[in-house]
This record gives sequence, structure tokens and C-alpha cells, in this order.
Amino acid sequence: MADELDTGVSQDAPFISVAEIQKTFGGVQALKGVSLDLRAGEVHGLVGANGAGKSTMIRILAGLERPDGGRIELDGQPIVIDSPQTATKLGLSFIHQELALVPRMNALENIMLGAPKQTRLGMLSWSAVTETVKPIADRAGIAFPLDSPISKLSTAERWLVSICRALVRKSRLIVMDEPTASLSVHEVERLFAIVRELSKANVAVLYVSHRLDEIMDLCHRVTVFRDGRSVMQAMRKSLTRRDMVEAIVGGAMQATERGPAAKFDGANVLELRDLHRHPHVRGVSLDLCRGEVLGLGGLVGAGRSELVRILFGADRAEQGSITLEGRPFAPRSPAAAMKAGVAFIPEERRADGLILNKSIAFNFGLANLQRLRVAPSVPLIQMGRRAKLADEMMQQLRVRAPNVDTPVGRLSGGNQQKVLIGKWLSRRPRVLILDEPTRGVDIGARAEIHRLIRNLAAEGVAVIVISSEAEELPEVCDRVLVMAEGRVVKQLTGPEITRNNIVQASYAEHAAPNIAIHA
Amino acid sequence: MTDIPRPKLEVGPVQMPAHKPVLALLARYGTILGLCLMVVVFSALSPIAFPTLGNGVNVLNQASLAAIIAGGLTIAVIVGELDLSIGFAASMEGVLVTGLIVHGGLPIWLAILIVLGVGALIGLINGLIVTKARVNSVIATLGMGTIIVGLNFAYSSGVPIVAGVPEEFLEISLGRFYGIPHNVIIMAAVLFFLWLMVERTSVGQAIQAVGGNPAAARLSGINVDGIKILGFVASGVCAALTGILLASALGSGTTSAADSYLLTAFAAVFLGSATLRDGEFHVFGTFIGVLIIAVGFNGLAIFGAPTFYQFVFQGAILIVAVGLSSLGRVLSEE
Repeated sequence: MADELDTGVSQDAPFISVAEIQKTFGGVQALKGVSLDLRAGEVHGLVGANGAGKSTMIRILAGLERPDGGRIELDGQPIVIDSPQTATKLGLSFIHQELALVPRMNALENIMLGAPKQTRLGMLSWSAVTETVKPIADRAGIAFPLDSPISKLSTAERWLVSICRALVRKSRLIVMDEPTASLSVHEVERLFAIVRELSKANVAVLYVSHRLDEIMDLCHRVTVFRDGRSVMQAMRKSLTRRDMVEAIVGGAMQATERGPAAKFDGANVLELRDLHRHPHVRGVSLDLCRGEVLGLGGLVGAGRSELVRILFGADRAEQGSITLEGRPFAPRSPAAAMKAGVAFIPEERRADGLILNKSIAFNFGLANLQRLRVAPSVPLIQMGRRAKLADEMMQQLRVRAPNVDTPVGRLSGGNQQKVLIGKWLSRRPRVLILDEPTRGVDIGARAEIHRLIRNLAAEGVAVIVISSEAEELPEVCDRVLVMAEGRVVKQLTGPEITRNNIVQASYAEHAAPNIAIHA
Repeated sequence: MTDIPRPKLEVGPVQMPAHKPVLALLARYGTILGLCLMVVVFSALSPIAFPTLGNGVNVLNQASLAAIIAGGLTIAVIVGELDLSIGFAASMEGVLVTGLIVHGGLPIWLAILIVLGVGALIGLINGLIVTKARVNSVIATLGMGTIIVGLNFAYSSGVPIVAGVPEEFLEISLGRFYGIPHNVIIMAAVLFFLWLMVERTSVGQAIQAVGGNPAAARLSGINVDGIKILGFVASGVCAALTGILLASALGSGTTSAADSYLLTAFAAVFLGSATLRDGEFHVFGTFIGVLIIAVGFNGLAIFGAPTFYQFVFQGAILIVAVGLSSLGRVLSEE
């Protein structure tokens, strides 16, 4: 398959090349000199830890930032990309994690946003526009009607809309930033097929991802950034996964070690019986022990996030019962769930988890307001104590930031996640729920977060981890439940917990019964 | 595996714009600098009338009512809402307090307490409309303000309540304590209380969190709706206090006496958000904002500028304030 991929890629001079780009933000040098060249029709992987400079590089190509030094050449001519409009004119398209689509407009209107459209008698003719766009939409793999409103489309379908938008603009390069972060396994395969099609049609794709397996599967060449420099550029064929990891980390990498198997005292902290909430949770029962790390696997939309929202009081169950340490538990709000000792770390940490313009200390303090009071009955906050505790948390979790007064918006994804976890740690939760704890987090931070989760479990916290990355659950979990269509369809323990078993179970038969679950 | 050839460094045609740090400084300290500049210029132009202790106290006294109403509004904007009802509410509450004393024969302290309660009630209703009925706060409070104007006219028939206002009521606003006007003392107490609440209490942390990211606040176990309602109540109570003190200072309950405080309060709050912190609303900043406006008015009065200049000044400063505030926010994001 790899050989087939390499055919059709021109071995000529690159059509776009970037050399020795530098960029400094407020005294911090984000790019210390990166180089990157792209050939027509190649799928080029760009990898690197968070903070390595990938995003800055992309923002420069997109005309959102100006470099402090270095050269960018297009077809051998030096160019200046001074605005997003210029980037579009030069044939560069960008598809980000947070897709820039207008939710209230339909797919076609979004595709044509800002592009010249056919008119009849001076009036916009959507039928004429549809005729021109339709073949391009087919090429992008759009199977839904073009007049579907964006709000009705899945994340995967929105990606297709964005790709189609790039094709309509006759883009020569499409930059995809973490395209698979919120796609299910099936959707990922569909996206890959389309990327390969793009490559055959001589469109270059710069594929930015933390998921090295995808890079290995898809790319012709790979560039690795580390600490603001490009440290490696090589043909994918000549690379192993290990080579890439070593280039990213900057040294030999030790394998992730499975923490010591926790001993469960048999007492269930949490028991769910036949929980229903239409349409995503359809009769879920499960038990969770002290000190256990339970993984919830399955496809996006299998009902896992909806299930934990009930546990955290963000939604209410329509049917079924929950007991927490033997007592009935039906939290009416997140505040009630917190009081009962359930902590939740949401998937969208920027949107739901953190107050970005506030400091680390502030965010840390929010979950610990009672403890920070001067006296239990006096609502005054001890700022010094808050700073001290936040600082201890930073040391313990190895948060990389200048000090506790740094706004969390300035931290990398991995460090933001650590702050979010740290916020709950000092409350000593009985149950800790983490939804996609390492999404968009670099390899080093990911290992640290996993170690943190294991340590917490060792201290007796019952942990639930949701992850759509099938590799992640085997690394941290004692037991994995796979959900599909709102039901638990498979329980995996010990050596059964493998990527393959999880993926396989995710695609379970439609009418699979709920299985009885006991720890 | 091929290493990338490292060509000699060439500085490209594009350079980091050099004006950014200057702009950032201007956005943070511009308001304080402007205040100092005004004081210096006015002192130079009018060395006899302006830079005196008496005039300083006078400026603070003139600023006090605006500072109280703007301080309350600050809490509402920190939780992420706007309160446009405060000016109309303060006018009505000035009429109501004099009415209760003069026509209702209530003791002064009881009348004041009732009117402060009315202020809290208006805030509560505003808050409930915004959080429970999910009406945009601009519309909700504009509607509420208009209703209040109507009620005010219904109560007073548009006729000021002048006769029979007791001396003791006037004394509240006009009296001095060791030479310091009561209003200045009340302002200091109110602003200190609000500052303490926002910056140093657990409720204040929640207030800031709700304004910063409501979703994250909710998932941190904060009652977001409750905190928003609290913001409106703080705004409502402070508006009532301003209305009461204004009635006391004027010696009458006048139907639209406090309406213009709405604009002053907004200008002060936005000027404040451009002070020291990048586009964030805070109580101390609001105080600086009120001082800028008060010093400006005072200067205009000393130079005998016609009244219409006050409007020009106030409108311009509102626009400049919001501009500076956005600039601060934009620069802090870069």
C-alpha cells in the first residue's frame, strides 16, 4: 500500500518552501528557525510535541502571523503572506480543529463563503452554483444534500465541507490540523481515502497530528519539529515509529510502563443500574471499585459522554438508579455531584474546563473555595495560601509555567490539562471522571497524565476514563467497558484489554444486549 | 533520514511591528496617564481654582454618586451582563424615598431601607428574566428601565416632591464628618466593600469565573444563574443608594434626576476595564474611570465651558473608553 501511495508524487522541486523562519512572542522564541518544503500532490506529515512550533508555523502560512525572519518561496519566487486573503489567493487552505464554519448557513453557502458565485440577471443563482459545486462535492466525498444546515452535520461531515471549500478555491495545499481528533475510527478511514484522492489530484496535504500511526499510514514524507526547530525531514518509508518518537522527544524513549495493578477491596464506590436517558443512554449498568481505573471505550456517539454527564449532574437520568458508597445518588447539578465527591474533567477543556484569561492560581482556587477561606464561616479568601497550594500543585504535576499568576490561556494543551486535573486533586474526590484526558496533548505530557491517573487510583480514587483513542485505554485502565449505541456491549479485563479488542467490540452487532457487569 | 540543510540566516522583508509594546503599555496605563495629564493641565491653566484641597474634596464629592452606581454596574458587567435600568431606577428610587418620607410619613431610616429593598427587587427581577427566561440582558434591562420610567410618572405625575422634605434627610448627603462630605465616606465604604467582595471572597471568585467562562464555572460546581442574579442585585442596590443620596442632595424627588448616571456609569466602567488589567472589568478601575470623568467635568466647569460641552465630553469619553478596553483585550490575546 505504501508503494502505491508514493506513485504520482512529483519528485521535482518543492512548490512551496519555507526556510529558517523565526518568530518571537513577547520574549518567548516560538520558532528558532524552521524549514519545511512541500511538493505538489504529497501528503506531508508534520509532527512535534505541543509547543514545538507547529501551530505558529501554520499561522504564518495562513497569514495570521508575520515571521520575524526567514524566507517563504512559492514556485521559486519569494513571497510575503500578509493576510489570510493572500494565503487564499496563493492557493493555501487551512482546516483547523475548531472548524471555521457558519452554523446557521447550509453546507453550500459555507462552501461558497467569500468565493465568487454565479448570478443570473444580477441575482445570486444557487441552482447554477450547485451545478458547479456538485462534482467537486462528490470528489470530496460529500454524500449528504448540499443544502443541509451545518448544525445538523457531524464533525466528520463538517470536515468534508471544509475540504470541498478548499477544492472550490482550487487550493494547491490543504493544511489539516489534528483532523482525526474528534472523528470515530470509521470516519477516520473515510477521511484517509479522501486525502489519498486529493494527493492523486496533485493537491498537497500538510497533515498535522499527534497520532503517529496515522502519519505512518498516510504520509509520503514527515517533518518533525522540536522546540521551535525542524529537527528531521525524511521519507516516511525510511522511518519507523520509534524514529519519530525519538525525534519528537529528543532522545531515547522508554516504553510506557503499566503501573502496579491496584488491589481492589471489593467494595463498590459506584453502582449504576439500568440507567436510561433518551436517546444516547439505553440501559447501562456498571460497578466501580475504590482504586480502580475503568475505561469506557467505543465510537464517538456511543453514549459515553452522555453517561458521565448524568453522573456529574449535568443531565438527569430518566430511568434507573445510581448508588454512591451505598447511598442513592441523583445529583441535580454539578455542584451537588461535587459535594458528594464526584469530579469531572470535561473533554472540551478550553470551552468547558478553564477560565483562560485567569491565572493558574485562580483556576486552581475555583474548585477549592471552601478550603481557602480564612475561617469556615468567613467568606474571605486567603490569597497567599491559594498561591502556595497552587504552586505545590504545579510542582507535583510538573506544570510548565513561569509562575502561578500565568494565565492558563498561555499554557500548552498538556499543561492546561494538568492544571485542570490539579484543580480537582486537592479536593480528594471519591470518583474522578476524565473525558478524553489526553486529546491534543503531546507524548511527554500524555505519559505524565497517565502516571498521574494511576497514582490517584493507587491512593484509592475510583477513576473513569473515556477515550476515543483505542491505544489509550490499554495504557491506563484496569478494566474497559466498550459501549455502542447507548449500551455496554463488552467488558475487557487484564490481558484482554487491547486496542484490537476495543475496536472490534466498538463495531458490535446492532441489537447487542446489555451485558451484566461486575468488577 | 536526511537532515535539513541550514542556509545562512536571511532576515526576510517582514519585521515584527515595533509599536505593539507601546500600544500595550498605553492600553494598561493610558487611563491613569490621562487622569494625571488632565490634573497637570488643569493645574497649569487654572493654578488658583483647580489644584486646591477644597476643589479636590469637591471633585470627590461630585464623583461619589456616580462611583456608587458605577460600582454596582461593575459587578453586573463582571458576570457578563449589562444593566441599562440603573439610571431610570435611581431616578424612580429618589422620587420614592422622598415620597415615602413626605407623603407616607415614614421614618427616614425605614424609607431608605424600603427603597434599598426595592433596588434589590428590581435587580432580582432583572436577573430572573435574564437567567430563567433567557432574555438578552440589554433587552431585559432596557425594558425594565422603561417600565420603571412609567411607574415613576404614575407615582409622581411628573411633579417633583419638594415641599416638606425634612432637614435630617438633606443632612445625609450634605453633611460633613471632620470636613469630609458624607457622600465621599459612603462611596469609599461601598467601593471598598465591592472590591473586597470581588477580589477577596469566595463569592467574588465565582463572580469572576462566571464572567470568564460560564461553562467552566458550572462544571466547577458554581451556581451560574445565582451568581448572575447576584450581579444584577448588586447593581440594583447601588442604583437605589445613588438615587436616595441624589434626592437628599437635591432636597427633592425629581422624576428624571438620575437618568444621566447611566451613561456616566458605563463610561466609567469601560474606562476602568482599560485600567491596569487588559480589558477586564474591576472595581478599582471603575473608581479611576469615575475620577477621570469627574475631573473632566470639574475642569470644564472651572473654565466656564457651556453645559453642552459636558455631553460632548461624556459621549467622547465613552467611545474612547470602550476603544481602549477592546484594545487591551486584543493586545492581551496576542
